[in-house]
Amino acid sequence: MAANLKRDPEDLRQKFYWFCLWPAFMVLIAVTLAPTIYLFVISFTPLDLTRPETSWDFSKPLGQYKIIWEDKRLHNSWWVQAKLSFWTVLIQMILGFLFALFLNVKSKLLEALRTVFLIPMVLPPIVVAIIWKVLYTPDISPFHWAAEGLGFMVPALITDPDWALWAIIIADIWEWFPFVMLMILSALQMMPEEYIEAAKIDGANVWQMTWYVTIPYLKGVLIVAALFRIVDSIKAFPLIYILTDGGPGSLTEVTNYYSFMQAFNFSYLGYSSAITVTLVIATILASWGIIRLVGWGKPID
Amino acid sequence: MSTDDKKTVTGTTSRISRRKIIKTAGAASVLAASGMAFPAITGYAKEFSGVTLQGASFSSTFFEYLKGYFPEFEEQTGMKLNFVTNAFPVFNQRTDLELSTKGSALDVINVTFIYSGRWIGANWVENLRPYVDDENMTPPDWDWKDFVGGTMAAMSGANGDPYAFPWEAGAMIMMASRADLIEKAGKKMPTTFSELVDVCDAIHGQERMAAFTADKLHHWNFIPYLMGHGGGVFKDPPGNLTPTWDTPEAGKAAEYYADLLTKYGPSGILSFTDSQAMQTQKNGRANIRTQAITWGVPLAKDPDSKVKDTVRYSIMPGGPAGNFPGSNSHGFGIPVGSKNKKAAWEFIKWAVGKKMTKTLVEKHGYPSVCRQSIISSEAFKEAMTLNGQDVASIFLEVLKLGGKSGYMKYRTVPQFPQIGDKLNKAIERVATKQQSGMESMAQAQAEAVGDLKKSGVKIDL
Repeated sequence: MAANLKRDPEDLRQKFYWFCLWPAFMVLIAVTLAPTIYLFVISFTPLDLTRPETSWDFSKPLGQYKIIWEDKRLHNSWWVQAKLSFWTVLIQMILGFLFALFLNVKSKLLEALRTVFLIPMVLPPIVVAIIWKVLYTPDISPFHWAAEGLGFMVPALITDPDWALWAIIIADIWEWFPFVMLMILSALQMMPEEYIEAAKIDGANVWQMTWYVTIPYLKGVLIVAALFRIVDSIKAFPLIYILTDGGPGSLTEVTNYYSFMQAFNFSYLGYSSAITVTLVIATILASWGIIRLVGWGKPID
Repeated sequence: MSTDDKKTVTGTTSRISRRKIIKTAGAASVLAASGMAFPAITGYAKEFSGVTLQGASFSSTFFEYLKGYFPEFEEQTGMKLNFVTNAFPVFNQRTDLELSTKGSALDVINVTFIYSGRWIGANWVENLRPYVDDENMTPPDWDWKDFVGGTMAAMSGANGDPYAFPWEAGAMIMMASRADLIEKAGKKMPTTFSELVDVCDAIHGQERMAAFTADKLHHWNFIPYLMGHGGGVFKDPPGNLTPTWDTPEAGKAAEYYADLLTKYGPSGILSFTDSQAMQTQKNGRANIRTQAITWGVPLAKDPDSKVKDTVRYSIMPGGPAGNFPGSNSHGFGIPVGSKNKKAAWEFIKWAVGKKMTKTLVEKHGYPSVCRQSIISSEAFKEAMTLNGQDVASIFLEVLKLGGKSGYMKYRTVPQFPQIGDKLNKAIERVATKQQSGMESMAQAQAEAVGDLKKSGVKIDL
């Protein structure tokens, strides 16, 4: 009896905790899980909003997935997505790291600059897209006026096949490298002084300290930042929607944009869901692969 | 009824009457103070006051003009208007999604030509026959038979009932913002595709002007060039929707049109919206454009146009297979999910009624009129005399051409939005030298066939 009395309060506490978590679980189920399950379910139907008979038609459950293997434009969008993600994440990581090192120096001017560098990141994405639309439109672009004034003929970047994807990459880097910079900077500011001092005593130069001390220390943060950016790059949408509409041709048409078009321009919700399911799986696999390959970072000696 | 009862009723009645009188007098004072017209209020106030009508369309000069009269309509009816206009693709995409959910977010919408078959066919917009047949809702002199038959074709269902009433009769013509430069080069307004290239060659770069301009809606702008070269969109629409793009004619047409854009167009032409393309002409930075007349009139009429005295219009050039200028219509419809259908109908009656149409023609020179009684009026002819030229006759000629052989039937099939996208992409690929005309059109054909199969359309290949 006494033992029961001792155990009961803990059980009750546990039950109470679970009870308190239920509202959050319910909200999570309603806003995240339910739509995801619905997405999976309708990916097994040919749902077309203009043809009501196609909803809940499970006669060919893998029909939409079969189309995926035949759809060359979709395959192209995977390749475009890979290029966009690779270049944006790589350059954002390098720039973010360099700027974080630069801004980590104690100086009032640099402290003020930190805020300035954060501006692109806090702007609404659609505003960022409009800013770059202005910069890339020859008739109204100060960049084009300046180039013309200096005697250079710069092509309209967003409609030039050699430049269109890079125009998106440049805008995306401008918008998001401050995020990487912020993460690295916060980690740098928490870095114990003794690591640097120990390295100095051992006679390490700046490059050696960066390579053997700072980067290993930041490894975990770098991986998290890269993962965030990879996932976000797969979600790239406003820049493409506003700047290029996936063109010229399909040169900037990434997979989520193609999926959006299938669903919202053509009403092929079933097919769009199948594409999205593959995208979700690919994103999870890529994230898992990167973590497995690089590891989360280990404490340095 | 006892005498006591009568007294009570009478007493109550008299009390209510006094309250009513006080309330009415108070309301009248407030209204008078705010400058509202008393008779207008009494006509509609009970039915529409408190209603906010949600409307949507793509941007057009029509709405720029019409919006100036919204306060007048609000004053007459007591309802509030919240009418949003977006770029053509944005409006279509949003409205398509909204209609598919049968939601009530929108009360009155533009029924876009290329979506009309889809929206009417799927019963996403209201059948307006009961509205026009009910004399309590629509006075006979509103006269819906006055709308030109060709403009109503896309706005009607398979049973012939009206599902929308048109505000725009689009007729594709050719406009040269600086016809003086063409004359100076010893040329005339081109009448054939080869003459068009000759003229572009002769004037491109003169006075820092591009010879040609266009917006990025290639599936509208390019089709007359495709048909003029002997190509077509479908085998026999609406019965046979097999695309016919992997042909030498289609490949040649794509090369021809892509050359017009890239050899003679201003920098960035492939991203131009309708308004941007018009601005290039109005500012004297581009000369020739083939597009609906709506986008040509501001060149002669807008106060800020720099080409008012040099603009000239003509029927668009024809190709070896003939002349196929685009014609279309866009109209107002009511989504089936709307909760303010009566108010929406009131708006439609007002916006495309004879009175408003006449006002828009007389005061703004609005060209794309759909009512026969206005088209045949002197006021229309006068308004359509642009820079001394009779443009009304060009407009009517295009409408006649479109109605005669029915070559515009391709555009109202329910699957055209996704098919049109393939044509847009095809032209972009050719214009940016990613592919040849034949390769690009063949790829577009393969993609279109895949899409049509997804829609359950039988392909005849």
